[in-house]
Amino acid sequence: MADDEYNDVDMGYEDEPPEPEVEEGAEEELENNNEDAPDDVVAEEDKDQQESSARVRKTSKYMTKYERARILGTRALQISMNAPVMVELEGETDPLEIAMKELRERKIPFTIRRYLPDGSYEDWGVDELIVEDSWKRQVGGD
Amino acid sequence: MARLEEKLRCTKEPYAEEAGSRRIKSILFSTLSGEEIQKSAEVQVWKSNIYDVTMKPVENGLLDQRMGAANKAGHCTTCHGGFTDCPGHFGYVKLALPVYNIGFFANDLDILKCICKNCSRILLADKARREFLRKMRSPRADATYKKNLVKIIRDKCKVACCPWCGYINGTVKKKAPLSIIHDFSKGLDTNVDEVRKALSHKRDKFSCTPLPAIDPLKILLLFKRMPDEDCELLNLYSRPENLMVTTLAVPPVTIRPSSLVSFSNSSNEDSITGILREIINTNSKLREHLEAGDPPYKCIDTLWAHLQIKVVEYINSESPSVPESTNRGLVQRLKGKQGRFRGNLSGKRVEYTGRTVISPDPNLKITEVAIPVLMAKVLTYPERVSNHNIEKLRERVRNGPTKHPGANFITLPDGTKLHLKYVDRKIAACELRPGYVVERHLEDGDIVLFNRQPSLHRMSIMSHRARIRPWRTLRFNESVCNPYNADFDGDEMNMHVPQTEEARTEALMLMGVQNNLCTPKNGDILVASTQDFLTTSFLITRKDTFYDRPTFSLLCSYLGDAMEAIDLPTPALIKPIELWTGKQVFSVLVRPNAQTRVFLNLTVKEKIYKKNETMCPADGWVYFRNSELISGQLGKATLGNGNKAGLYSVLLRDYNAHAAASCMNRLAKFSARWIGNHGFSIGIDDIQPGERLNEQKSSKINEGYKKCDELITSYSEGQLTLQPGSDAAETLEQQITNVLNKIREGAGDVCMAELHWRNSPLIMSQCGSKGSPINISQMVACVGQQSVGGKRAPNGFIDRTLPHFPVNSKTPAAKGFVANSFYTGLTPTEFFFHTMGGREGLVDTAVKTAETGYMSRRLMKGLEDLAVYYDQTVRNASGGIVQFIYGDDGMDPAKMEGKDGVPLNLDQLFMKVMATCPHQDQGVLSPSEILKMTEERLSRLDTSPEGGCSGGFVKLLRDFVNKRVTLWKNTRRSLNLDEECLENKASCPEERVAANISGISAKQLQVFLETCTSRYQLKKVEGGAAVGAIGAQSIGEPGTQMTLKTFHFAGVASMNVTLGVPRIKEIINAAKNISTPIITATLLSDRDLLLARIVKSSIEKTVLGEVANRIRVVVKSGQPYVSVLLDMERIDSLHMKISADAVQQSILKHPKIKLKAEHVRVIRNDKLKIYAPEVDRSKLQYELHTIKCMLPKVIVKGIPTAERVVISEEKGVYKLAVEGTNLLAVMGTPGIDGCKTKSNHVMEVQRTLGIEAARQCIINEILYTMNSHGMSIDIRHMMLLADLMTYKGEILGITRFGITKMKDSVLMLASFEKTAEHLFNASYSGREDQIEGVSECIIMGIPMLLGTGMLKVRQRLDSIPEFKYQPDPIIS
Repeated sequence: MADDEYNDVDMGYEDEPPEPEVEEGAEEELENNNEDAPDDVVAEEDKDQQESSARVRKTSKYMTKYERARILGTRALQISMNAPVMVELEGETDPLEIAMKELRERKIPFTIRRYLPDGSYEDWGVDELIVEDSWKRQVGGD
Repeated sequence: MARLEEKLRCTKEPYAEEAGSRRIKSILFSTLSGEEIQKSAEVQVWKSNIYDVTMKPVENGLLDQRMGAANKAGHCTTCHGGFTDCPGHFGYVKLALPVYNIGFFANDLDILKCICKNCSRILLADKARREFLRKMRSPRADATYKKNLVKIIRDKCKVACCPWCGYINGTVKKKAPLSIIHDFSKGLDTNVDEVRKALSHKRDKFSCTPLPAIDPLKILLLFKRMPDEDCELLNLYSRPENLMVTTLAVPPVTIRPSSLVSFSNSSNEDSITGILREIINTNSKLREHLEAGDPPYKCIDTLWAHLQIKVVEYINSESPSVPESTNRGLVQRLKGKQGRFRGNLSGKRVEYTGRTVISPDPNLKITEVAIPVLMAKVLTYPERVSNHNIEKLRERVRNGPTKHPGANFITLPDGTKLHLKYVDRKIAACELRPGYVVERHLEDGDIVLFNRQPSLHRMSIMSHRARIRPWRTLRFNESVCNPYNADFDGDEMNMHVPQTEEARTEALMLMGVQNNLCTPKNGDILVASTQDFLTTSFLITRKDTFYDRPTFSLLCSYLGDAMEAIDLPTPALIKPIELWTGKQVFSVLVRPNAQTRVFLNLTVKEKIYKKNETMCPADGWVYFRNSELISGQLGKATLGNGNKAGLYSVLLRDYNAHAAASCMNRLAKFSARWIGNHGFSIGIDDIQPGERLNEQKSSKINEGYKKCDELITSYSEGQLTLQPGSDAAETLEQQITNVLNKIREGAGDVCMAELHWRNSPLIMSQCGSKGSPINISQMVACVGQQSVGGKRAPNGFIDRTLPHFPVNSKTPAAKGFVANSFYTGLTPTEFFFHTMGGREGLVDTAVKTAETGYMSRRLMKGLEDLAVYYDQTVRNASGGIVQFIYGDDGMDPAKMEGKDGVPLNLDQLFMKVMATCPHQDQGVLSPSEILKMTEERLSRLDTSPEGGCSGGFVKLLRDFVNKRVTLWKNTRRSLNLDEECLENKASCPEERVAANISGISAKQLQVFLETCTSRYQLKKVEGGAAVGAIGAQSIGEPGTQMTLKTFHFAGVASMNVTLGVPRIKEIINAAKNISTPIITATLLSDRDLLLARIVKSSIEKTVLGEVANRIRVVVKSGQPYVSVLLDMERIDSLHMKISADAVQQSILKHPKIKLKAEHVRVIRNDKLKIYAPEVDRSKLQYELHTIKCMLPKVIVKGIPTAERVVISEEKGVYKLAVEGTNLLAVMGTPGIDGCKTKSNHVMEVQRTLGIEAARQCIINEILYTMNSHGMSIDIRHMMLLADLMTYKGEILGITRFGITKMKDSVLMLASFEKTAEHLFNASYSGREDQIEGVSECIIMGIPMLLGTGMLKVRQRLDSIPEFKYQPDPIIS
């Protein structure tokens, strides 16, 4: 439960650790990706990829709650089936919690394929999308 | 073992390609020919006996083992499966003679009408045939178009002579239920007459008409000869002969199980088996007769007819041609609520569920639900063993099925399942390996779905975290009662356990309580504190509550079971002793410690608020500043549900759901403990009226009674001044009702004023936890008037309500006024009246539930597949655009903060910014600087239309800043400072004062604008959102809460408007005739009463009877006539401008009075004579009398459909309300401003002004209806509904007719209404269902393409980094 927006106007509680700033990371990563890893490459279809990444992507840069749920669900399933975890664990065992941590650290190795009504699609890497809001709300506990 | 042996018999398993999982892409509906049925069947069935003497199924009988296992004992000889794993195989019966398929009977008839009964060609000339064929084959032709085309073709085919062979065709008709005749009586040309004439002398009773009946055999032959192109013309997908039944498919035994009756040689057969047996019997008899050759003709006919009836019964046993059948045919299995479509396919039975009584537990978090251990031991979750959880699961396995955190089953990777009751658990635990699946008991933290019926909106099923607790009820925090609409008077609730990791994640993310605090209906908070929590908050925030250090610390520890770190605030009083106020408890509750960076800022007016903001004498102005409660006693407005400016709403919007949820948790815990110690209860002394109250009450009642008596006397003397539009009796009723209501209100006011401040009911009503002032005054002072049907109690006896009163008595007591209170007790008559009112309420609820339920179902079926796609458009499942952008601005209704669906509450946000970010030392901006900065910000991309920001929002923001600037200027002016230029603060004290009052610093403005824009961006509706379903729920759910109050007075003069559920029904049904059509017209010069009257008289329907002084028959010497004398005085006073000439014209125009101009003579300006047309003398008198009777009804002026026109006045502006239809004529009336004329009749608006106007009309009307019931619903839902109803270019109601035109999917339509009809039509025309909508996907068990199903997730293979699972090398 943190007030991300008003860090600058914080009334004198500088000592505490800053919340993971999700939004800021997003914009940096857009550039970073090109250097680190060609992000959009998916195993099967290279040709489609080139075509769709060449076009300007029009859909929202925010991750929808449906995308988040789907990704976390799929990732949690993978983790529950003993898939290698991409983050350092601090004692978490629940696959969902691990998946959330991975998403928080933008380490989920997925691409979202957003279908437009005409049948075309846009591919967005999970690390390119801005994930809204703090993370604690999803857990339901403190 | 038996199965193994069977397998061994095969020398080689047939090769089957590994198919993997396949997806059904589409379903094609068509008809099967006899050969196809034979080919797909395993066995021919021709024996009518089912079992032999040893109770074994007979070969070639109806339960032949080749068709599957008949019961648990049997097994299938085709696939060697048992009762549970054999899917069943078809058989067939070959019919001796063809019969009709009842589902296609109408189609048979239609085809016959179109083809030549001699050569089977279509009755169209070649040119027309080609033209129609071209149209039919056009790729753009959809189902509805084709259907209409066939209708046109059928009309064109009504020719007698076949253009191909010249055969003379008669008309084809249906005679009796199941026979078609070919009727030559008409249509044949003169030849017949000639023949008849020629034959007439020979024999009298010779009939020359050929035998008219066409039997199925003949039809079959005709159909077989039809060329394929002609079939295509008639929209037939497959061959027409398939419409006749020649071979009957016998369904697999598995769908008609047979059960042996124990200890006897008999069995209970399914009704389908029963009908089939009779069919086989009849068929074999018929075959015998046919094969015997030259049998008595009659016998065959009867058998054939019997066979036909049985085949009909097999398909549809409720068909009118079947005499009272007790069997259930195939159609009966499919249709209806319990049928296959709605009962088994659209809604399926599930495992892993629980249901029991619910009870409250404030110690649970709002996201939790307590599950009894008993349930937890049965409900399991299949957890897959992985490296992370292997130790935990070993422990579970060791505990086994009986000890609570245990497990019931282990599934090994090869599919074998071990029940832990029957294995050595210790060994099983040791042998656990990754990849095994353990069905472990439910444990704390598991995700479950929790639901209460009726599930009216999406918050009726939410996901909670499980807490395993002892005892036998499901428990949850009372704050979550609201979304479920649950109470604890014995309600039961259901629980489901999602079984996969994906399901749990989606449930938690999308259905979690913390993600559904707000209703998408209007963005109000729904999960909020209730009842005791509100009382506690109200009591503890009283101004006079003070606590010393130990007590206050104790209270603080209540907030979180003493587990939370709490920073004690500075005490409010320091000397002589440290004291904290009750309000400070709330400051702690919102922000328990400094680490919690929640700065809550809000102001709310509570119910008890009177005046002077923070200095309110009743302390009703709640003011939080930086999480400190400055003033105000908290109540429902702040903490309860249904308020957008409340504490939890603000926390949710400014921070997150977790902030709001933890505050609710804290308050719940605190309240349960505090009020337990404090004590809060009501007793009889709480509702004992004091002496003063009694006095005042009786004086009020006496006063009111006296007034009523006066009214009654003046009524009986006929001196009552009438109210416009009502007669004397109505006026009296209205006035008396007013007086009586005032008595009750007055008594209530006195009561509220007189009660002690510690009176419990009073406290509850003030803080809003339970009960209203009316409830209290009914208990303490006076129950008041009882009403039945919106009126005072009706007369149940002759001219009186009860025999205790004199006849025709209108006194308050005789018409149901209850002067006593519940405390004093009701007299027998009062009690009886009270029961009458109570009964009405009960009947209302009973009727209402059924009506609104059906309405919700239709809405849901109509809107279910509408969703927002990634390009922001709203489309249906087949891709048709319904809205280009959702709700005209693409905002999510659930996230709206302001009133009436405005995205942000700028006042609150600004206040927060000012408080959390004080300007202190930074300089404030001058007005011009503020404006400059704002404009600069607003010119950036994310506040432009391209950046996805609606113009409305930018305007809102700009207006707000301008308002602030004006305020700033005003402040400066009043302090005598220069409005524009700022002076140095240090030098000028006024400058500092001004800055403190309404100055804005650069930082503040920047933070404010940034917050506004970034928050706005997050409030957009997301791609994949099922806006249709949410819209349907948002409109359907309030329907259930509407009292069935039908009528309502609009403006003056009792102009009734239908409201409530009936009105909503009218709108969404797109009813052609509505019960109260009203046109509201604006006048061109709207302040002129005279003009209003003139226009009124020219619109209102006026009949001759109203303006004539007399109409009478004059029989004098000469020709008798009817004389009409106009009442010119009246005409002039009403400004009607009716002259005798005009009347003459109207009489001539009247459709029923057939008179010519010479019969109606104008004598004077106000006198007419009407003569009867020439008839014989004897009838003359009668004729004149008829004319005399009809004349008063002749419309002489106005619009015939405008029954009544009422002038309404509001602030000197006159308007006309026209009761009736014909918007066009009203708009065209001189003096009316046509541009501002509205009608509430949607269909008429569409006819007159077009489809866009109709859309707006639908939105306005639903909005008006909902608002007049005090319900706020986001306008975006109404827009979506209106758009759905109008997007096809005509208004389609949400009824079975409209929905059929909106949707293409057969499965969806079949699961809605008229199941069989849709299926038969689909297979006639070969419709293909693409399985893209919601209903179809559910029926087929496929994930639907909305929400999480709209996207695809792809694994990235290359980006997996190499993991080093060993420590870094020391030397590299």
